[in-house]
Amino acid sequence: MRLFSPQRWSLSVKLPLTITAVIASVACTVALVILIDTRAELMRTLDERAVLLGRAVGESAAEPVISHDYWAVYKAVKLMTSSLAVGERDGRVLSAVVLDVQGRVMAHLDPGAYPVGMPFPLHERGAETLLRLPAPQIRRDTPHNGRWIESIVPILSAQEVVGTVRIRMSTGEIAEQTVEASIAVLGWTVLLAGAGSILGTVISNRLIRPLKALGDAMDKLKTDELTVPVSVDVSDEDEIGHLVARFNGMAAELVEKRRIEQELAAAERLSALGRIAAGVAHEINNPLGGMLNCLNNLKRHRNEPELVGRYVPLLERGLTRIEAIVKALLVEVRAEQSETLGSCDCLDDVRDLIVAEIGGRPIELRWTNEVSEVFPVNCQKVQQVILNLLRNAVQAMPAGGVVSFRAAAAMGRVVFEVGDTGVGIPQENLPRIFDPFFTTRAGGTGLGLWMVYRLVESMGGGIEVTSEPGKGTLVRVSLPIAVRELSEPAHARA
Amino acid sequence: MATVILRKEASPPAGSGDLASMISRRLLLRLSAGLALGLAGGPALAEIQRPVRFGLTAVVVRENLPFFKRWSTYLEARIGRPVEFVLRRTYREIMHLLETGDLDFAWICGFPYARRREPEYLELLAVPVFQGLPLYRSYIIVHRDALAGGLDDLRGRVFAFSDPDSNSGYLVPRAMLMERRLPPDKFFRLTFFTYNHAETIEAVADKFADAGAVDSYVWEYVSHSNPGLAGRTKVVARSQLFGFPPLVARRTTDRVLLQRMAEALHRMHEEPGGRDLLAELEIDRLIPGHPTLYDGIRQMADRLSASGAPEGR
Repeated sequence: MRLFSPQRWSLSVKLPLTITAVIASVACTVALVILIDTRAELMRTLDERAVLLGRAVGESAAEPVISHDYWAVYKAVKLMTSSLAVGERDGRVLSAVVLDVQGRVMAHLDPGAYPVGMPFPLHERGAETLLRLPAPQIRRDTPHNGRWIESIVPILSAQEVVGTVRIRMSTGEIAEQTVEASIAVLGWTVLLAGAGSILGTVISNRLIRPLKALGDAMDKLKTDELTVPVSVDVSDEDEIGHLVARFNGMAAELVEKRRIEQELAAAERLSALGRIAAGVAHEINNPLGGMLNCLNNLKRHRNEPELVGRYVPLLERGLTRIEAIVKALLVEVRAEQSETLGSCDCLDDVRDLIVAEIGGRPIELRWTNEVSEVFPVNCQKVQQVILNLLRNAVQAMPAGGVVSFRAAAAMGRVVFEVGDTGVGIPQENLPRIFDPFFTTRAGGTGLGLWMVYRLVESMGGGIEVTSEPGKGTLVRVSLPIAVRELSEPAHARA
Repeated sequence: MATVILRKEASPPAGSGDLASMISRRLLLRLSAGLALGLAGGPALAEIQRPVRFGLTAVVVRENLPFFKRWSTYLEARIGRPVEFVLRRTYREIMHLLETGDLDFAWICGFPYARRREPEYLELLAVPVFQGLPLYRSYIIVHRDALAGGLDDLRGRVFAFSDPDSNSGYLVPRAMLMERRLPPDKFFRLTFFTYNHAETIEAVADKFADAGAVDSYVWEYVSHSNPGLAGRTKVVARSQLFGFPPLVARRTTDRVLLQRMAEALHRMHEEPGGRDLLAELEIDRLIPGHPTLYDGIRQMADRLSASGAPEGR
């Protein structure tokens, strides 16, 4: 398949092939034109030669023809049609004959076959007129590419036709020459095409090398860790050279940007850690001060039992708070026993709780549960998540409003949406709302959303928060319905 | 070769000084010759200026020009005068030149020699001895592949004669037909003249003629010198023997010159250079001969005349 779809071929194949094809086709076209031209020229020359030869024979045979000097006529034919150098017959002359005006042979080059004095077999149409032609004429075997041509030349004596010379010449030599020329031309074409393909390979290599280097460099850039500058050598100052140079600039910028980002992320992580540590310290420090005071007073007045009665509950409360904080921080992310999530039970418990939370405040609760099937979901975790979100929604509307809840199942996921028409979250706070101890409310621990985040994460789900300050916030939690993996071990444990 | 070049190079300085004197001397010579002619009327000086002219006919293969150059050099050394061989196409032209005195000597055919001349202006100079005898004959030849076995098989064929004044190439074959009571002018479909015995062989070899009449000496000579050509022909009939084509002189030729020439020719076989030349001609020697040698030809010509067949064409 790959072989037959040129779109997939490498440039290193396509370019040499294209150059080779172009050179070969140009060479072939030129060669063809030359061949045709040469052949026509050779044919013309042969025609001229045949007429010339006929004229020469006619000139030297005119007087012997009149005086019936057959031998002199024969000698004229024989000598004129022999190549002078060797004294042998010219290979191109197939036959030569001198006829008198009655069409009888006066001399034929092959006297054995055409005896002198006998009528010459004339087959062509209008043969009679050919015996008294006023001017030389050329006849052909066939209109094109025949085996021979024949000149018919009148022998004139005092403006009167006394006989005719017919000289038939072979076109074989022309065919041979044409074939030879074709072979030579073919050789040259192959040679040129070969040279072209080598040239093409060299050119394409020059073109492709920087392109390949670019591709490799881009692959390197894709790996995120890369902070070392990537650079491709610029060889030429052509378009590709400019492209490479621009890419180098871009790559350098990208790497620099990535380095800065990584530095920023590191700083961010460190500052987040600091905030958490500070939050923990602060939250624990608050009750610790009171508790240490209580302990000091108890140590000082260890014989006053009424003080024990007063301080011990205080100490207990402080410790309970610390325990609550630590517990919340160490949210156990374990596979709890799985409970079924139905149309009422689990979620409706949460509904009752939040209705109680709202109490007498002017808040409307819109509750939609579209989950009709039975899904295996960790009920405790889901309840915790939804409750936390609903509480946040209620707390976000000190002046009242609408809290909406919607549960739906779609495309293998369960989706819960909790919306409010409260104050909303400012844009700059959005990235931090899941950080522990991040809160904008006095008295808030800043651990609610953090717990939601960790619970959802433990269930393999995702959270999406959309908020517009002054208009409200919509939190969408989507959980995968992981059927057996979750439920099986739960049952086993139960 | 080197010596020639050296001489060439050496000559200008030596000759340049002499050039003027040479020209003037030559001029003087001509002037004195003109004076001698005008005053004394003696032909001696004018004779010295003109080379001896020796006519050649087709009785011998004339195409070998280097041979005749060597022969003329040989003869020049012996008669003390330059010799020039003169070639013409037909016998008749040579005979005419002899008659007008343009030629001094000639090697002619027996038939023209045997003809009656009034007054007689020819004189027998020498007769070649060929294969031991001063005789030759006419061969009737056909192509090697031809089926004809003799003259009788050639009825209605194309026949090549050599020359209308030839004995072996024209007179003899006609006489042979006459003896068979065959009409010489109607027997063949077509006849033509080649004016050369060697070309008669060529015409038959090329199948341009079905048959031809040829001098036996020439056919034998060609069969050695050009076996490829003569080998394509074969002899199917041989005539009786006749006197070999003679070398003749004009009667008016200077007697001393005539004597010297005759002696030079008759002694050729005695000298190494002359023997080599004769060997090239494939002739044994040249003898004085006697006019009666040609009586056979004369009688045959007379018979043909009497029977009404024209001697010439």
